[in-house]
Amino acid sequence: MFLINCPHCGERDQSEFNCGGEAHIVRPKNPLNLTDDQWADYLFMRKNIKGIQFERWNHSNGCRRWFNVVRNTATDEILKIYNIGEKAPQIEGNNPKTPSGEPIIGSGNYSTSFEKKQ
Amino acid sequence: MLDREKTILAINNIMEKNEIKIQELPFLNKINLRLNPNNNQHMSICENILETILPIQSNTYSQNKKVKSIWLSPDEWLVVYDDDDDDIFINLKDKLGDIEASVTDISENRTVIRISGKNIFILLSKFLVLDLEKNLSTQTSCVQTLFVKVPVLLLRNNKDNQTPEVDIFVNKSHANYIYNLIIDGTKNLDF
Ligand SMILES: [Zn+2]
Repeated sequence: MFLINCPHCGERDQSEFNCGGEAHIVRPKNPLNLTDDQWADYLFMRKNIKGIQFERWNHSNGCRRWFNVVRNTATDEILKIYNIGEKAPQIEGNNPKTPSGEPIIGSGNYSTSFEKKQ
Repeated sequence: MLDREKTILAINNIMEKNEIKIQELPFLNKINLRLNPNNNQHMSICENILETILPIQSNTYSQNKKVKSIWLSPDEWLVVYDDDDDDIFINLKDKLGDIEASVTDISENRTVIRISGKNIFILLSKFLVLDLEKNLSTQTSCVQTLFVKVPVLLLRNNKDNQTPEVDIFVNKSHANYIYNLIIDGTKNLDF
């Protein structure tokens, strides 16, 4: 649980908000020219960074407005809040290094492997 | 005496001791109003019809004797007024048109539970993550939040020197849930 400073309503509890996933994903201009892989990439593939991530949030139980948030997903520290439509800001943050040296990309770590059950 | 009757008596005692009153307000007209706050023409049309301003300041409302206009978001307001004045809705709809503004009658959507008493902030805090003292600090404060899991609009109704009085705007289907929670919350109010 953490607090989010809604640009319109002020500081509120996280439970009032919904996260809309990664920000700054641009819809391809000519979807018909894309291969299935490229289209799937646009639709489904998200970075899911452990560290500083650019996200869209909606104040669903308040003013119902969308805005962008730069959040450190490892510490839940919010580094910047800016409007939809604005360019992604340059953010210098402290990306914590985990003791086990987990990769930054991916929510799991090396030990998580997918094994087919028989 | 039945357990249930004992409980009801006990709750009544606590509520009387703390002078807590809960009531559902009679039917009120409610209009959801959406327009661009930078459109001066639209803003002045609304001001003329409602005889009160549409607040630009977030989490506030303005009122006169019959109308309350409540800020919901930068371009959205809730207008609440008594049953007998039907002209407001028709006037707004006529004058604003439906291209750059939207006027929707949502009277049936929400009901209003009015709760008053000197310790109601403590009582309501049991169900809110919000700091009521901060968010309902002025006479014209209102705030949208979650009441346990239910979206509500809280509106402070009292002046500074009066007993606290809060209007809870809630979906009709959730009103019973909220009412029961509040009654339940009074059981162990020990102040
Ligand atoms: Zn908000």
